Amino acid sequence: MSALADQLPGLDRIRCRFVELLEDRKTLIAQHALAAWDAQTADQINGHLEEARSLLHQIAGTAGTVGYPELGIIAQSCEAKIIDHLEGSYADLAVCPDEIIWRIDRFVEACGTLSTEE
Amino acid sequence: MRILAADDDPIILELLSQFLSTVGSHRLTTVGSALEAIELLGEDPDQAFDCFMLDIQMPRMDGIDLARHIRKMGQYQTAPIVMLTAMSEKRYIDNAFAAGATDYVTKPFDLTELKTRIGVVEQLIQTKHVASDARYNTNALLQSYLPVDSVDLHEPIALHDIDNVIACTAMENYVAQLSRSSLFGSTVFGFCLRKSEIHHENLSGAEFKYLIEDVAEVISDTFSGQQFLMTYGGNGTFLCITESGWRPDLLKLTDQLNLHLNRAQIMSNSGDELHPRVSSGAAIRLVWKSGDQLLDALSKAQGTAEHAAAEHERLKTDFFHIGKSA
Repeated sequence: MSALADQLPGLDRIRCRFVELLEDRKTLIAQHALAAWDAQTADQINGHLEEARSLLHQIAGTAGTVGYPELGIIAQSCEAKIIDHLEGSYADLAVCPDEIIWRIDRFVEACGTLSTEE
Repeated sequence: MRILAADDDPIILELLSQFLSTVGSHRLTTVGSALEAIELLGEDPDQAFDCFMLDIQMPRMDGIDLARHIRKMGQYQTAPIVMLTAMSEKRYIDNAFAAGATDYVTKPFDLTELKTRIGVVEQLIQTKHVASDARYNTNALLQSYLPVDSVDLHEPIALHDIDNVIACTAMENYVAQLSRSSLFGSTVFGFCLRKSEIHHENLSGAEFKYLIEDVAEVISDTFSGQQFLMTYGGNGTFLCITESGWRPDLLKLTDQLNLHLNRAQIMSNSGDELHPRVSSGAAIRLVWKSGDQLLDALSKAQGTAEHAAAEHERLKTDFFHIGKSA
């Protein structure tokens, strides 16, 4: 985070709001990941992954600015993996790659550490 | 500045709000979606904004379509549009600039960098205000002794509603935004309108602008189907950046362009055919270039095109002196 960000008045308040929102977002992402894992059709899987991707995208876009760059990088890597799948050649198969679930698991774990720290 | 920011992430909107309150006297209006932005802009056309900050990825309608929509509104044809987005892939950058973005800041954004970009946007707006104020004052003083629509030959002209044509500042920002890997397939080259000084001298400001617009349209149509961005850099010169490894044969392309210009039968207001023709400069690959080198490449592309146009005219009259020293 830049020196200006450190000096930005009100950043603490925004950071708290980010952590509060993160709790709900993390739960939603985990739910969509599990639903994608259990889903029977490619459309259902891709729909849940798309929802998770959209939330991860928001976290990746702000975590670094409010002071959680590592969390932002993990969210970005999850998002990239989901995009790879959705735009890849297996997107029309009813398969949810293990790698995505493993990465989201890592993300949820990282969120837990963050919430505890706060 | 009166700024409209559209982002579906409340944290970004809070950050912007807090940030802008610390870097100057800006008035920020925030909306959570592109549709809300359109509704707001349509509701009260008198509530003018100086600048827009748009997220790309928003549900139902994205920021690229929103930028396109804003550009189509007459009053915002030249208003700075800064894309604030986590989408750093080249296709998003290309689409954003082609839709009319002036600048592109990737999230998570560094606030120091954002401050610099806001400063540049402010300067752009001030320059525009100064130019319109100066014109107003001149009109008042000279009472139409001078043409009110005068256009400086060397200044870039903003061209609107031509596919893939962007403002000069946007082109510089676009090039600066591309990463080294993205530049691998990129080539820049220029076309210069021959006898641009004579056209400029003989035509009114408005006619000269129409001529430049017509030529830009012919170039854009000739490139249709290719991935490219183009700008008018002033002095009769158009700069083009092509993508995806497409490296055109410039001699062939110039012949093709001149054929299309001939068919277009571009005329002045008095009905005289202007017969505009162009010359092309060197094609410069952008790979392995960064920072100032990229801007130098743009400048070199423009310079070589202008030189080629001047040489073409010189050789028409100095035919017997080729290869001979004085």
